[in-house]
Amino acid sequence: MKQYISILLFLSALLVSCGPGRENRIVVGSKNFTEQLILGEIIAQQIENKTHLPVERKFYLAGTYICQQAILGGRIDIFPEYTGTALTAILKETPSRKREEVLTRVQSEYARRFQLAVGPALGFDDTFAIEIRGEDARRFSLKTLSQAATYTPQWRAGFGYEFMERPDGYQGLVSTYGLHFAEKPRIMDLGLLTRALKDKQVDLIAGNMTDGLIPVLDLYVLEDDKYYFPPYEAVPIVRQELLTKHPEVKAALDELAGKISDDDMRQLNFAVDGQHQDAAQVVKEFLKRKNL
Amino acid sequence: MNFWQFMSHNRTEVLEATAQHLYLVAASIALAALIGIPLGILITRRAVLSKPVLGAANIIQTIPSLALFGFLLPAPWIGERADRLAILALTLYSLLPLIRNTYAGIKGVDRAVIEAGRGMGMTDRQLLWQVELPLALGVIIAGVRVAAVISVGLATIAAAIGAGGLGEYIFRGLAMVNNQVILAGAIPAAILAIAADVGLGWLEKRLSPS
Amino acid sequence: MSQSSQGQPAIEFREVCYELGSSRELLHNLSFRVDPGETLVLLGRSGSGKTTTLKLINVLLEPTAGEILVNGKPLREWDLIRLRRGIGYAIQEVGLFPHFTVARNIGLVPQIENWAPDRVKKRVEELLRLVGLDEKLASRYPRELSGGQRQRVGVARALAADPPILLMDEPFGALDPITRVELQREFLALQDRLKKTVVFVTHDLREALLLGTRIALIDGGKLAAMHTPREFLRSPDPLVKAYVDAFGAEFRDHDRPIQDRGAS
Repeated sequence: MKQYISILLFLSALLVSCGPGRENRIVVGSKNFTEQLILGEIIAQQIENKTHLPVERKFYLAGTYICQQAILGGRIDIFPEYTGTALTAILKETPSRKREEVLTRVQSEYARRFQLAVGPALGFDDTFAIEIRGEDARRFSLKTLSQAATYTPQWRAGFGYEFMERPDGYQGLVSTYGLHFAEKPRIMDLGLLTRALKDKQVDLIAGNMTDGLIPVLDLYVLEDDKYYFPPYEAVPIVRQELLTKHPEVKAALDELAGKISDDDMRQLNFAVDGQHQDAAQVVKEFLKRKNL
Repeated sequence: MNFWQFMSHNRTEVLEATAQHLYLVAASIALAALIGIPLGILITRRAVLSKPVLGAANIIQTIPSLALFGFLLPAPWIGERADRLAILALTLYSLLPLIRNTYAGIKGVDRAVIEAGRGMGMTDRQLLWQVELPLALGVIIAGVRVAAVISVGLATIAAAIGAGGLGEYIFRGLAMVNNQVILAGAIPAAILAIAADVGLGWLEKRLSPS
Repeated sequence: MSQSSQGQPAIEFREVCYELGSSRELLHNLSFRVDPGETLVLLGRSGSGKTTTLKLINVLLEPTAGEILVNGKPLREWDLIRLRRGIGYAIQEVGLFPHFTVARNIGLVPQIENWAPDRVKKRVEELLRLVGLDEKLASRYPRELSGGQRQRVGVARALAADPPILLMDEPFGALDPITRVELQREFLALQDRLKKTVVFVTHDLREALLLGTRIALIDGGKLAAMHTPREFLRSPDPLVKAYVDAFGAEFRDHDRPIQDRGAS
């Protein structure tokens, strides 16, 4: 009998030691690519500057699902997400094309199901960007995808693996705009697409709206006039508990609403990726510039 | 800063991750014991069940852990929270050592002792609680020990699906290409495994009839 | 064959058969009585069926045919647990619980019969004295005892709840000859005092002659002969003679004082 009791005590001691209590630290998480690191840093510094609460950074989490689980488990308090990703990957719903609809839907569902607050939108949309060379855009006076459709039979296209596979990717694009390319699209790594476009190995690619190289390499993003691509507005996801405990955090985040334009994000991305500057430093200067 | 400074600077976070890790392991071992030990006792009483039960537990063990995590992801309720999923998977992996060791421990009790007990009029329940389980306890704890050490290792992989714990440091460190972060997860995990092995080994010795 | 006395037998076998699996018949048409207070020795070679016979009495095995009665009641009408608690059981390997002290081992049946702890303690001390063990051994563990001491504890344990019947399966077989003789003598003394009904299994003729009031020779699963010790030595039965011969010259001398111990 004594033996059973000693085992029980041993196991209970183990279990009891497992309730991690966290002090007054706020943990900001992010996924593991440059844009996310920058956004995470912006959120972190903004909170530090405005509320003087201690902030811990937990960046480089391996993806959307990992971040979602981490915030649900209370291991992080905030992380930057995209409305389109939240809607399709987490809520598993089909996206509408209207930005406001998507944002509202995500806000209401996240509050109801997860007790997570969403928003406000930070100001840019990291959706797919169909890019052509700037010189071609000027030569043919192209602004929208519908206009470009007529020229596609003379062009070769390049896309990433994921774009080819996704339901909101290649297939839908060509059927929505009636695109016909000179040959089958070339499939290559995302990182190589921009180079290939510049070097005229391809004439049209699908990249990210906030790609830092767009202005630098004189690339032009065709307007999605038929609203084919779902919106991927960047928003902070925050634990409701945190906002209740520290309303000053909400005020700090609200200040960021709309402050980061598509161009701003491209510049920030390029500074870190292209020019290899330190992300924390870049963000510091950015916040100063924006009078935050 | 060097590694020790890094650890000291981040000790709260590392301890938190360790606590989360321990929680995953302890909860799954407790569940596995709750299911596995009675099952192990059952198959000593019903010989016809021993082969299918041990066989099933064996098959579960052969499934690669990452595959099992991925397989369980779409499941309702379980897949919604990564720590639930991790605990379920870790429990499944801990079943075989617990069932098998309970079975072997009880079967290994000296037949003369069992015969004497039965002959003197002990009921099956009295035999189980007063003789078989106490004498099998050392072997059962050995099973817990095996399960615990395996679980500490598997729980690091559970971070790949978002369950937290020390594995999260390892994966983040890999993405950051930062050795200190990797070690901040790897070293405590190794220490945990060793501590579990040694601690339970001591318990095993103490509870084995010499 | 020797007749037992009249009156209700403590144990009775009626045409009992035991088959192992579907082919091997270990016991065939076994019939005999054991009278209250007598020591019936089941004598035979290894594999003759004597241990099987013993185990049928406390239902560790069940017969495939025939009937066994204890105190006049067929076994199938007995509550197994009650039956076994009323029958002391001592085996060659002893089977002491290694994780119990000597005291707890001896007090096992009283404890599961819910005797008051005081009563159990008293009884344990009494039994230790009865089997000739130092009371200081009560708190030791079986692994700390010699073979002879363990056997004594086994006997004490079998006697603890004061059962009217005792089954003993070669209890002294694993001991050295000196200790064996010692224990045999003590058993006799005990029997004189307690007058239990004992069924004692052995392959050793000397032990049988010394301890038994009657000897049942089991050969090939059948009851070959049933005699008092004196009759056994004088029996012309070839099977009996073969057994006696196997044990050597000392038994051919018919004047050796082999006492027949009567059941009273």
